[in-house]
Amino acid sequence: MAKILVVDDEEHIRLLYSEELSEAGYEVITAADGYKLIEKIEEQKPDVVILDIKMIDYNGLDLLQKIRNKFYNLPVILCTAYDTFKEDIKSIAADYYVIKSFDLTELKNKISMALDARVPSS
Amino acid sequence: MFEKEVNPDNVKEAEFVVAIPSYNEADSIAYPVQQADKGISAFFGNMKSVIINCDNNSQDGTKEIFLGIKTDTPKIYISTEPGITGKGNNFRNLFQKIVDLKATGVVVVDADLKSITPLWIKNLGDPLFQDFSYVAPLYIRHKYDGTITNSIAYPLTRSLYGRRVRQPIGGDFGFSGQLAQTYLQNNTWTDAVSNFGIDIWMTTIAINENSPICQAFMGRPKIHRAKDPGSDLGPMFRQVLGTIFDLMIKFYPFWSNVKWSKPTSIFGFGLGETETPPPVSVNKDVLLKRFQEGFTLYNQIWEKVLLKAAKTKLQEIGKMDEEQFDFPTNLWVNVLIDFAVAYRDKICTREELLDSLIPIYMGKTLSFVKKTARMSIRESEAFIEEECTQFEAAKNLFVQRWNDKETA
Repeated sequence: MAKILVVDDEEHIRLLYSEELSEAGYEVITAADGYKLIEKIEEQKPDVVILDIKMIDYNGLDLLQKIRNKFYNLPVILCTAYDTFKEDIKSIAADYYVIKSFDLTELKNKISMALDARVPSS
Repeated sequence: MFEKEVNPDNVKEAEFVVAIPSYNEADSIAYPVQQADKGISAFFGNMKSVIINCDNNSQDGTKEIFLGIKTDTPKIYISTEPGITGKGNNFRNLFQKIVDLKATGVVVVDADLKSITPLWIKNLGDPLFQDFSYVAPLYIRHKYDGTITNSIAYPLTRSLYGRRVRQPIGGDFGFSGQLAQTYLQNNTWTDAVSNFGIDIWMTTIAINENSPICQAFMGRPKIHRAKDPGSDLGPMFRQVLGTIFDLMIKFYPFWSNVKWSKPTSIFGFGLGETETPPPVSVNKDVLLKRFQEGFTLYNQIWEKVLLKAAKTKLQEIGKMDEEQFDFPTNLWVNVLIDFAVAYRDKICTREELLDSLIPIYMGKTLSFVKKTARMSIRESEAFIEEECTQFEAAKNLFVQRWNDKETA
C-alpha cells in the first residue's frame, strides 16, 4: 500500500484528504506544518508528498526546495487554493500541482501518475 | 593564415573551462568573453581556468577579436579545418581539448549572448563541482523565441526519456570533463550532430548515460539574436529533428520503458526573474502560407507517412483561414509519432521527409501563436506544460505505433 504524506495547516483539508485517500486504498499520514518535515519524511518514508503552498508559518515552495535537496526522487504534488504560485519559478521543481477542490479526482490522478512514473534515476 | 590552435599562454592543463563556439561572430563575441572572464575571476579564482573559442575558421576576424580582448584568464583559440563548418564540429574539437587539458568542468555559452552575466558562469559551473555532470540552463525566453524547443525538443525529450529539461537545446550549459570523454567515444555521431543537432545530442546522451543532470537558474532572460519562427529554418529544423529521430532508434530500449516524467533538480534558486525578454515578432501570414503550401509540395509524402485520422484532420485544418485556424495538440503528437516511424522505416529520403514536416510545424506554430497571443510568458509556459502532459499521455500509443509496423 502506497503511503501518502499530506502537509497542510488546515485541519478540515487534512481530514478530507485522509478520508478520501484512505478509501482509495492509500495509507495516509499528515503534518500540520513544515516543522521537522525532513525528519518526518526520513522516518516515515512516504511514497508521495502532498504539499500545501500557503501555510501560516511556512512557504510550501521553500519546503519543496528542501525536500528536493534531500530526496530528489520523492514525488511532490503541490496543492493550493490559488494558482498565482505558478508565477514563482520554484514551482517547477514539483512533480505536479493541483488546485484545491472538494472533488479529489484530479489529485488522485496525479498521485497515480506520480506512483506510476518510471524514469531511470539520476 | 589558417591556425588550428593558438595558445598564447601555453596552457597545458585546466580544471575549469569556459568555451564559446562561433562562426563569424566578430561583432558579438567580445561581450560573452568579458563576462566569462569576470565570472571566472569572481567564482572560480582558485582554479586553473581557461577560456576557449572553438571556431569554424571564421573569416570576419572572430579569432583576432577573441585573442585581442584583455582578460585575466588565459585564452585558447581552436578551429576546424578551412571549409569545415558546423557547431557540432566545433564541439568535437572542444571535447578533445577538454580531455587533453584534463578539465573537470566546462561551461559553454553562445557567442551572440547579450544578457550573460558573471553569475551565469557560476550557476552553470558550480554544480559540476558538486554532484552533477550536465547542467542545462533555465531562463525566461519570449514565448515566440525557441519554438522548435517549445513544440518539439522539450515535449519529445520529456515524454520519451522522462526528464523535464526545459531547455534541451539552450546553447548555454555545463558538462563534466568525464562526459566530454563519453561524448568523444559515443558512436552515434552523424552529419546532423556535426551541425545544429549537437545540442539535443548532448542532452539526450547525458540522459541516456544516466548522468546526474540539473537545471541552473540564469537570473536573466536569454537575450540574443532571436529569429522569427516563420523565417528560413530548414537546416536547423532538419538537423535537430533528424538527431532526435536517430537517437530514438538507438535508444528505443530506454524510452520504451519510461512512463510520465520527473522534474529535474534545480540549482541557483532565489535569483529572481523580473526582467522581461525582448519581443520576438511573428509573421502569421507567412506561417499560414507555408502551412498551406505544404499540401501542394508534400501531399504525396504525407499520404505515405500519416495514418488516416491524422490525414483527415490535417486536410480539415488546411481549409481554415487565419481567424478560425486551430491545430490541436493531440494532432501534433500523432503527426510526430507518424514521422518518427516513417523516418525509421525510410519511406522516402530522410531529407525529404524532414522537409515535408516543416509546413506542418508552421501550422502548429501559427496555432500556438494564436492561442498564446493574450498570455503572459508564465501563462504560455503553463500552456506548454499542458501540451507536454498530452505528449506523455500518448506514450503508450507511441510505443505501440513504433512496434506494430502499421503503415499509413
